[in-house]
Order: sequence, then C-alpha cells, then structure tokens
Amino acid sequence: MKTAIIDYGMGNVASVQKALDFLKIKNIITSNHKEIIDADFIILPGVGAFKQGMDNLIAYNLIPVLNEQVLVKEKPFMGFCLGMQLLASSGTEFIHCNGLGWIEGTVKKIIEPQKRIPHLGWNDISVTKQGFLSPVDQKNFYFIHSFHFDVSDKENIAATVNYGKDYVAAIQNKNIFATQFHPEKSQNAGLTLLSSIYKYYA
Amino acid sequence: MLKVRIIPILTFNGFALVKTKQFINPRMVGNPVQAARVYNSRAVDELAFIDIFATQQNRKINLKIVQDVIKECFMPVAIGGGITSVEDINDLLKIGADKVIIKSASIKDKNFIKTASEFFGAQCITISVDVQKKNDRFEILNIAGKNIAMHDFISEMQEAGAGEIILNAVNNDGMMSGFDIELIKEAEKITKVPMICVGGGGKPDHYIELFQNTNCEAVGSSSIFHFTQFTPLDIKNSLQKINKPVRL
Repeated sequence: MKTAIIDYGMGNVASVQKALDFLKIKNIITSNHKEIIDADFIILPGVGAFKQGMDNLIAYNLIPVLNEQVLVKEKPFMGFCLGMQLLASSGTEFIHCNGLGWIEGTVKKIIEPQKRIPHLGWNDISVTKQGFLSPVDQKNFYFIHSFHFDVSDKENIAATVNYGKDYVAAIQNKNIFATQFHPEKSQNAGLTLLSSIYKYYA
Repeated sequence: MLKVRIIPILTFNGFALVKTKQFINPRMVGNPVQAARVYNSRAVDELAFIDIFATQQNRKINLKIVQDVIKECFMPVAIGGGITSVEDINDLLKIGADKVIIKSASIKDKNFIKTASEFFGAQCITISVDVQKKNDRFEILNIAGKNIAMHDFISEMQEAGAGEIILNAVNNDGMMSGFDIELIKEAEKITKVPMICVGGGGKPDHYIELFQNTNCEAVGSSSIFHFTQFTPLDIKNSLQKINKPVRL
C-alpha cells in the first residue's frame, strides 16, 4: 500500500513521512499527478494560512487530480491540520477564500476571550462517531491552530476538542478522514491512530 | 482539557549542548542528538533546540544537526538561532521543525515578524524575550543596549503576529533557585498568546510554586534536567498532585 504525501509547499511533509517510515508504510512526497494517481492512499498535510494553502494547491495544479482521486475514485484520504481545514467550502483567514468544498462548512477564527490563542498543546478529544478514533486508547493529541472548522453537517464530525467550547477535532465521511490535531506529532497516540487506519484499509 | 506543557530546552553552541548561568559561562553538557533521543523516549510534551551563539557569531544554525535532532522526535520541536529571513524559516520548517524561535531579529525589525507570521501562520512564530529588571521596570535585554520596556515589546510582537512568547528571566537562568514569579505575573497581564516561562527551575517544588502563584500553562527548563536526577515526568507528577492537567 503506497501513500502519496502531497507536497504543495505548506510545511510539515517531513514529519508525516517520518511517522509513516516509522510504521513501515511505503510513501512518497510528491506533487506529481501520475504518482498521486498510482498511490493507494493520499495524505494532505500542511500548516499555515488557509488562503496561501488554496493558492498553492491551485499553483501546483493539484485540485483536479485530488477531486478525481478522492471524490470520484474514493481513494482513502487523510488531511491533517491545514489539510483538514482546506476541505471546507470556504475560509475567512485574513480574507474570504473558497476551499476544496469536500466537507460543507467554514473555517473561522477561534474567539475565546478567556483563553490564549492559538490553541496550542496537548488536549483530550471526545469521540462523537464510531470510526478510526474508537480503538485508540489514548485520546490526547497535539493541537496548534488559531482557526477552526465550523462543520455544517454534524454527521461528518468524528471528534471534538474542548477549548472554552467544543471545536471540531476530527472529521470522517466515507473515504475522507481528517484531523485538526497533528497525529504525526502526537507520539504514541498519533502513531496508534495512523497504524489502525492503515490496518483497516490493508 | 488543555494540558500544561513541560518543555526541555536544549541550548547549543554550534558543536555541543551548553548551559549558561545568567546567560554567561556556558558549560558543556552533552550531545544534542543523544539528548533528543532520550527526551523522545521519555515522551516529553515538546522540545526546544536553540543555537544561542548563532547570531553573536554571525552564522546560521547547522541544518544537518537540526535535522538529526528532529529525526529523533515524534513530538513537536521548536528551533531557534540566527533566524533573520523567510528563507531561514522555510529551511527549518521543511526539515520538520514545527515552530521557529526568533529573538534578535524581532528586536531589530518587527516587520520581519509580521511578514513571517503572514507567510507561515502565527502558530509557528515563537518570540523569545530575555527580561531583566532595570530602572525599576522590566526591560528586554538586547545587544544594542536599547531601553525597551517588556510591556511595549510583548504588545508589539503580538500585534505583529507572534504566536507564542518564551519569557526568559535572565537573572534566574541556570540558578536553579526558583522562578521569577513577579516577572511572570507582570508578563501575564499583557500576553494573549501562549507563553513559556523559563529560568530558575531546580526541583519539583519550584514548579509547584510557579503553577500555584501564576496562570502559567507552559514551562521551559534546562539545568534541572542536566544537573539533577529529576525528569519532566517527576515535575508532571508533582503538578498532578496540585490538580494541574498534565499529560502522563
């Protein structure tokens, strides 16, 4: 099973690769269409700003091939952090901007006057839907974000995290699974989650 | 619930790990890659690795060593030392750094912080401030010797897009005799982003004192892990006893 880690100039591809290498999962960091089409699994990582992320996906001409592989072919897909937020219909970071639109909803700034922003550090998630997160014992993951994904259809929410109020921590809909937290940075909890997902698809 | 963070800080001189006292007299304390391996096996919350002589010696941080350190870590890593450009930041993020720590360049040019934050997102821009009491107020220690009030500086940095502040109490550095509670309380009044309190931890009781008297959510330490038998886990166990949320 070969995973394409999408390189679109938005950071942390090396960390994702390190986690997959550790789990002995074949992978390639790429923005090449053929390599993405040949892969059995697609991961969209990313840190940084929403608009920059969308601009880069457009500049790397990745949107048509991702739409085709994930929405039409229903290839297993994971998105982490910005890679989850970009699935939204739109984002409001700095300026309004359309997202990939795979999961209906909007990415908005976290507003919690009593809390420090960004939401940074290890936090517990509450699993709201049976799925990939259910078998993971340790539900403590690493978050680092100032924006959150306000998901329209609550059916798509797999887990929430409380920081003043509940925010979306993970999304699952058919072949699409995405997390606001960083599994690749969450030590055993993250590695266990990734390995259970690969076991499911194996 | 968000857990408090206990962050080992590795300070580097370009060749080896060193530890200073009140920012002078660096003493060699080991090898960065080995240290990173140990901290990863101990499942620490986060790690910071800083080349504290890069700016002074007018050089860039050694990316090969940074890469070797990051390779050992399945937790978040923040890297600092000699960062002056968007390219420097990009070089570090590309090899797996989660955050970059900027000090000298933030004093020189706050527009750089704004540019960096817009480009990479506030979440990966950590500003390190060295604070000392001077003229009866807290001021930022800087090479140029300018008088900069801590209040003004932290506010400016937050406005420019800093995502996190590392607050170094210069006089407490390496002394292992407790944290500067007065300074931390003062800084808390203006800090809206996460803040890592650094300087003075020598035994678990110091951390209990810190967390009982302030709203501290993250602490960075070095000497206690180099020179005593205490580990990050010992500190967390102590904090759990006073009902602080910790990740065990």
